[in-house]
Amino acid sequence: MSRIELTLNGKAVSADVEDRTLLVNFLRDAQQLTGTHVGCDTTQCGACTVLVDGRALKSCTLLAVQVSGAKITTIEGMANGEALHPVQQAFSECHGLQCGYCTPGMVMAVTDLLRRNPKPTDEQILHGLEGNICRCTGYINIVKSVKRASELMAAG
Amino acid sequence: MPDHAHTPHAPFQRKEDRRLVTGHGLYTSDRTFPGELHAVFLRSDRAHAQIVSIKTDAAKAMPGVHGVFTAEDSKAAGMVKVMCMLALKGTDGEPPRVPARSAFADGCVRFVGETVAMVVADSVAAGLDALEAIEVEYRELPHVVDASRALDAGAPVIHDAAPGNLCWVGEAGDRAAVDAAMAAAATVIELSVESTRVIPSPMELRCCAATYDAANDHYHVYSVTQGVNAMRIQIAFAAGIPENKLTIHAQDVGGSFGNRSPHYPEHCAVMLAAKVLGRPVRWAGTRSECLASDYHGRGNQIAGKLAIDKDGHFTAIQLDWVADMGAFITPAGIASHTRNPVVLLSGVYRIPAMHGRWRAVFTNTSPIAPYRGAGRPDVNYMIERLVDEAAAKLGMDPADLRRRNALGLGQFPYKTPTGTTYEATDVPGSLEKAVRLADWKGFPARRAEAKARGMLRGIGMATFIENTGAGVFPKDQVDIEVDANGMVHAYSVAHAQGQGHETTFTQVIADAMGIDTANVLLHEGSPEHTLIGNHTGGSRSLVGAGSVCKLAGLKLIEVAKSAAAAMFDTEPSQVDYAAGTLTDRVSGKSTTLAELARRPEGLKTQAEASIGSTFPTGCHIAEVEIDPLTGTTEILSYVAVDDCGHAVDHTIVEGQVHGGVLQGVGQVFAEKAIYDEETGQLMTGSFMDYTMPRAGMLKHIVIDENCIPSKINSLGAKGVGEAGCTGSLSALSNAMADALRPLGVPPMDMPFTSNRVWHAIAAAGGLK
Ligand code: FES
Ligand code: FES
Repeated sequence: MSRIELTLNGKAVSADVEDRTLLVNFLRDAQQLTGTHVGCDTTQCGACTVLVDGRALKSCTLLAVQVSGAKITTIEGMANGEALHPVQQAFSECHGLQCGYCTPGMVMAVTDLLRRNPKPTDEQILHGLEGNICRCTGYINIVKSVKRASELMAAG
Repeated sequence: MPDHAHTPHAPFQRKEDRRLVTGHGLYTSDRTFPGELHAVFLRSDRAHAQIVSIKTDAAKAMPGVHGVFTAEDSKAAGMVKVMCMLALKGTDGEPPRVPARSAFADGCVRFVGETVAMVVADSVAAGLDALEAIEVEYRELPHVVDASRALDAGAPVIHDAAPGNLCWVGEAGDRAAVDAAMAAAATVIELSVESTRVIPSPMELRCCAATYDAANDHYHVYSVTQGVNAMRIQIAFAAGIPENKLTIHAQDVGGSFGNRSPHYPEHCAVMLAAKVLGRPVRWAGTRSECLASDYHGRGNQIAGKLAIDKDGHFTAIQLDWVADMGAFITPAGIASHTRNPVVLLSGVYRIPAMHGRWRAVFTNTSPIAPYRGAGRPDVNYMIERLVDEAAAKLGMDPADLRRRNALGLGQFPYKTPTGTTYEATDVPGSLEKAVRLADWKGFPARRAEAKARGMLRGIGMATFIENTGAGVFPKDQVDIEVDANGMVHAYSVAHAQGQGHETTFTQVIADAMGIDTANVLLHEGSPEHTLIGNHTGGSRSLVGAGSVCKLAGLKLIEVAKSAAAAMFDTEPSQVDYAAGTLTDRVSGKSTTLAELARRPEGLKTQAEASIGSTFPTGCHIAEVEIDPLTGTTEILSYVAVDDCGHAVDHTIVEGQVHGGVLQGVGQVFAEKAIYDEETGQLMTGSFMDYTMPRAGMLKHIVIDENCIPSKINSLGAKGVGEAGCTGSLSALSNAMADALRPLGVPPMDMPFTSNRVWHAIAAAGGLK
C-alpha cells in the first residue's frame, strides 16, 4: 500500500492504494469515475485516456502511484456545470459519437491535441487520433468534431 | 452535397449525447453492486483436448476466493443448452446438429478461449491469482481450424453428434434448371471467394453480472445486449429456467454489430455463482479474452458460378457455400449464413435460374454469430465479384453489365426464383447517381495519370439489396404514456447500442403528435413494461419499433380525443387535436395532454404491428490507388448512394453509413481472425495483432440517397445499419481487383494487406 495525493478534477484527493493498482482502476473503482473506460489490455485503444498535468495519457498503462502529486482531469471534469467543454460540444454537434464508449478517451486526446496545436491540419488530426480506436463512427465525423472544436475554442 | 444535407436540430445534438460526452453513461461494466464478488475465467489454451482432470482445491483455499466452478457445477445446475433459432430440416432430412454446451467445457475443450473454470473472489486480482492454482490435465486431440478441411474425409471429429463435422446442409433453388442454363450459356464465370473470419470487437468489453433473489427464486442479469427480450429468452433457455424467473437489465451498450445479440456461457456462469454464493457476481472480459471468446463473424468460403448469354444477360447463378460455425453453434449463426443468402441469392438482378448448397461446419475455433450484415455482405460479395469478373471477361464496362441486368423500378414487386419477394426500389437510378458522383466516365484518364506516376489505380462498383426488418418475435409493441407535466414517455425493447433511438424514435413520435421532441422521452430496456418486441439487429429497429412509435403517437391522440370528449361531454369526432391541445369544435373548450394525464386513469396506450422484411438497396463506388513498390493502398474516393426508404434523421443515417463502410474497409484491408493451422492457436489475440481500422483509412464518403419509401411499415423506413458493410466489401474488393487486373494478378481475396498485395504483384511478375 502507498499513500497518493493528487488533484482530481479540481479536488484534492488522498488515498491508500495497492502498488499494483492501475490509474484507470483507481479512477473507476475507488473514485467511482466510470466515465474513463477500458477497451483493451495492450495500450492500443485510448478509451482510458485522461489528462495528467494537461497531457493526454492512457490511464490503463500508468500506476496510480505514478501520478501522486499530479493534476488529473477525467471526462467528468470537462464540462463547466451545464456548459459543455468545446470538445464535448463539437463531438455532439458533428455526430462524432454513436455508442459513446470511445468518446471520453477521444475527448481527452483531442483536448490535448488542440492545446498543443489549436489549428491542426487534417494530417495532424489523423496523427493525433492514432492512439484512439472507435468501432462505430468510421472516424469521419470525429475528424469533423476536432475541426469544429478548434473553431469553437478559437471563438472563445 | 445532396440537397437533404440539413440537420433537423440546430445545432445537431442527440438526446443521448449529453450523458455520453460527459462520462455519465451507464454501461454494464460501470455498474457496481453492494456485496459484489468478481468472476474470472480459466480458458482453454489449446484447440482440442480431452480434459483428464481439473484440480481446484488449491485455488479454493487461496485468500479472497469464494468459489471455483467447473462443468460439474453447471451440469448439476442444468445449464447445458445453447439456443438454435434454425429448426429447418436440411437436404439430408436432418435439422441442425446442436451439440450440448455447458457453461464450462465438459470433458473436452474445443477451441482456444473456451471457458474451463471460473474463480469468484473478492477482487479481480485475487481471482487471477487463484486461477494460476487450478491444475488442468489435458490429453491433446487433433484439431482442425479451417472449415473446408473440416469436411475432408479423415478430419478430426469435433462432436460425436456431428459426423464429418457437418452441422447442417441445405439447398435452395432448382439445380436442374441451373445445370441446363450453365450448359447453354455463352459464358460461365467461376470464382471462389472467402468472406473472411473477423472479430466484431465492439469497444465495450463483453461483460455481465448477476444477482439472485432467493426469496422469489429470481435472477437479475445485467449484460451488454441488443435487446432485453431476446436476451431473456436465450439465457432462460440456456440456464434451464422459466423466462419469468429472469429479468435482464441494460442501459448504455458500447457497440454490438450483432455480437451482443447471442447469449454466452459467461451469463450462466455468473448466475450459477450468484445463486450458490448468495452474492452479486460481476465479470468483465479483457480484450484478449474477448478476441478469443467473443463470437466471431463471417467466415464463409463460397464457390460461385454465373452463366451469361450472348447478349450479356445473366441466365443462372450457383453457389456452393461452406459456413464455418466454429466449435459450437450460436443462436442465429446458422440462419445468418444460410437463410439470408438464400433470400438474397438474386442480388439486384433478374436471374431466371438459381441454385445453391450451404454446408454449416464445425471447426476448433470460436463460434460464429451474426456480424453487421449477417450473411448479406457475404452473398453480395460473391455475386458482385462474379459480376465484375464477368465484365472483365466480356470486355464490358461493369456499370453497363449491371445496367443490363439490374431489376428496374417497373419490375417490382419481384419474386426471385428462391421465393423472396423484393419490394420496390430503384437500383438503376442509384447507379446513375453514383456513377455521376464518382465521375465513373473520367476514370480512364485518372488511371492513365496514376500509371504515369507508377501507381495502380482501380475503380469498383457494388450494387446490393438486403432484407431488413423481419424479426424473431411475432410483433413489436410500444407503450406510450403522458406524465403529469405533459412529457410523453415511450417504451420499447429494441435496444440501441449507438444507433441513437432516443433521438430518432422520439422525433417520430414528436412528428406524429405535432409536438416538440424536447417533450418526448424514450426508455429502452425497462423490464417493468413487459413488451413483446424484437431486439436491435438486422437493421430492423426503425422499421419495426420505430414505425410502431409513429402508430403509438397517433393512437395516443385518439385516446386523448376520447378522454377529452368525455370531459367536454361530446363525441370524440367533435374534438380537434393540434400540438398537444384538444379543443371542442362546438364549445371551443380546450384541454391539454398534461391535464388529461393528471386524471386518475392517466393517459396511456400501447401500439403494435407485425412487420416483415423491407428491402433497402444501394450502389457504392470505390476508387483506390496501390503503390506497387510497397503494396500499400489508399482509398481515394468512396461514393454511397442508398435507398433507405424514409429517413428520419439524415445525420444519423450518414453516421450509420460511415460506420458500416469503415467496418467493410477494416475487413477488406486489415482485419482477419487467424488461427494457426499447426497449433490451433489464435494468432490475432490482441489489438497488437488484430488490426482494428484507425482514423484516416477512409477520409471521406460522398453520400446520397435515392429513396423509395417502404410500403410495409407506417414510416416508409428501410433498414440502413448494415448497408455500409454490404456495399463496401464488394465495391472495395472490386476496385482492388480492377487495379491489379492489368498486371495479370489473378482474382485475389481479402484482406488486401500491403504484404499480401505486394506478394500478389510480385508473383504476377511485377510492374510491366
Ligand atoms: S484501455 Fe487503455 S489503451 Fe485501451
Ligand atoms: S462511438 Fe462507439 S466506439 Fe466510438
